[in-house]
Amino acid sequence: MAQPLSHSAPPRPLLERRLIVVTGKGGTGKTTVTAALAWGAASRGLRVCVVETGRDEEVPGLFGEAEPPVGYEGRWLDCGANVMKMEPYAALAEYLQLQLRIPGLVTRLLDQPSFHALLDAAPGWRELITLGKVWHLLQPPQSSDDHIDLLIVDAPATGHGLTFLDVPRVVVSAVRAGPLQRHASWVEDMVRDPTRTLLLPVTLPEELPVRETLELVARARAEVGIAIDRVVINATEPDPLPPELPDLAQRLAALPTSPVGLPAPSTLAHCVAHRHARASLQREAIAELRAGTDLPFVALPRLDIDADGPAALNTLATALQRPVEPLR
Amino acid sequence: MNESPASLLEDHPIVACVGSGGVGKTTLSAALALGAARRGANALVLTIDPAKRLADAMGQGALGAEPRALEKDTLGELGITTGSLSAMMLDTKRTFDDLVRRFARDGVTRDRIFANPIYQHVSDALAGSSEYSAMEKVDELVASGSFDVIVLDTPPSQHAMDFLEAPERLVGLVDSRIARHLVHPAMSAGRMGLRLLQRGTEPIFRLIERISGMGFLEDLAEFLLLFEELSEGFRARADHVRELLFGGTTAFVLAAGAGRGQVEQAIGLAERLDDLGARTRGVILNRLHLCSEPLDDWLDATDAWDALGPALIHQGLEPGLGPAATETARHCVESYALRVRRDAVRTEPLVQWAEGSGAFVRRVPELPRDVHDLATLCHIESVVFDPTLT
Repeated sequence: MAQPLSHSAPPRPLLERRLIVVTGKGGTGKTTVTAALAWGAASRGLRVCVVETGRDEEVPGLFGEAEPPVGYEGRWLDCGANVMKMEPYAALAEYLQLQLRIPGLVTRLLDQPSFHALLDAAPGWRELITLGKVWHLLQPPQSSDDHIDLLIVDAPATGHGLTFLDVPRVVVSAVRAGPLQRHASWVEDMVRDPTRTLLLPVTLPEELPVRETLELVARARAEVGIAIDRVVINATEPDPLPPELPDLAQRLAALPTSPVGLPAPSTLAHCVAHRHARASLQREAIAELRAGTDLPFVALPRLDIDADGPAALNTLATALQRPVEPLR
Repeated sequence: MNESPASLLEDHPIVACVGSGGVGKTTLSAALALGAARRGANALVLTIDPAKRLADAMGQGALGAEPRALEKDTLGELGITTGSLSAMMLDTKRTFDDLVRRFARDGVTRDRIFANPIYQHVSDALAGSSEYSAMEKVDELVASGSFDVIVLDTPPSQHAMDFLEAPERLVGLVDSRIARHLVHPAMSAGRMGLRLLQRGTEPIFRLIERISGMGFLEDLAEFLLLFEELSEGFRARADHVRELLFGGTTAFVLAAGAGRGQVEQAIGLAERLDDLGARTRGVILNRLHLCSEPLDDWLDATDAWDALGPALIHQGLEPGLGPAATETARHCVESYALRVRRDAVRTEPLVQWAEGSGAFVRRVPELPRDVHDLATLCHIESVVFDPTLT
């Protein structure tokens, strides 16, 4: 079972791992964090590979290299990172090819409608084959050209993300002896090895994402046994109100009229009050995160990736690589 | 007449709220159910999202796997006097086991199913299994007749399709050729013994066994054999669910935010629903930055901003704070204006899509607080049901 992580020593630098699984509630910016990590790793000269598990390819677009699609084969992009899109059927074909070593047989098997029906109804195989491909990519390559230092998986959102990581364990217990069981146990060992693998939860400084992240951390440790050594809080913003102006919104609202050329007093007040209220919520959410876990966190600023592209990725990559202090 | 949230809830026993993760489906589902209750309906909101958020939105603490009604007094305080509002979370494991109990011929079959490793594998919270059982519960609730309308909160979009297609897939497995090959030789021999599984006759089984090991296929065959008994029930259920979802009983409402990629995902989801024969009747854009005045015009009005400090000082602000007040106000208006514009630009394609397909569009503003009490939920409800309030 999971061992509670000791935080007496500062966490190791992120990029020293072989495998980082990025997860979080939908909309928290998992994919942006994945891209920023890869960007930072590549700019340090690491051979880094990103595995996208979503329906669409998103990371190449964040690098400004959306075309042509990277597909399952993957491609080394100009930024120095390799990106591939997980295709469960392609991965299954590759796996079967490696196991059966007879090309005709694999094609025949995969062409069987009944085999497809079986797969469609069998839960878990997509997750298992995805993690199996990840495991395979991290094995010592036949030639040094294929070597990968760091693999980053943009995993499914929180609830399904943990299920995703737990599939090997379930398969190991559900399937009796045989190659499938053996392979699943290799994958399970990879997931649970704290020297190689890290789960990186991404959250927003908002109440519900924080609460979900705390549940995720607890379940990941108790059920999956994967290492977590920090939480990323994405899209943080400073409070715009200086301490000496705590009541600026009320003062603006009380103006009889705005100076000519400005929005109405109520609109001015609304903008100030809104920005301040969101900042207060952010403080509360971060306090809840602090109270609920012994993990240190990395705060990323809110940036507009679409507008600022590489400059924004650089900023995020630098912040992600900064050493984190243990909380206790 | 244009459709509205009110008419949808009036005309459909089920309203399903679909959308990608993090757009606020759970909150919007609760707000829709609240609006139905306000219009006199006995409404139920059902969440199948693995995250336990609905309870927060309903201000009710932990929700159970059975409908739990809000107190009459609580509803009365919200101005709801005739309708009722209940909420529940789906306990997937329990529902799946219930399904087996219901359709199993006898206790022996049931116990053998529960003991089968593949069944445990399928039902034990593996990805996809929650979707298998979700619609079963919905069907049961509709059949119970206890509710005028059920608002369905669905899993995030990538899993929403699993959810909608799940009953078909389960029947597909039991019906499939591989299942017949695995199971029927044993059946026709008139014995339950899996020793009779004729795995030697089919090369495909030899292939699978080379990878999975022998035991896996035997467990699978047993599972399919046992499930075969249940398949009539499942098949009837799947037909029924298809009819429920795509036969006009269910109205689909698409929830989307203005986050990166969320609008594209929403349009993709609407198109896939269309392929399944389900028209999206409404779009709710959640957590938008909205402003009744166009803010952009003022951003460069430096002289006007310079006059703001003195105006505040005139109202009693300490003179030394004038410049800081101006700067802060300007910064806030600028950053808010950028968001208003960005949200409008990002959501435009979805608004156009909705107009093209006759779906209503509602805009819910980003609130200065999180939604975890009924008062805030009522506020969202009012905006969804009365667009003039936005």
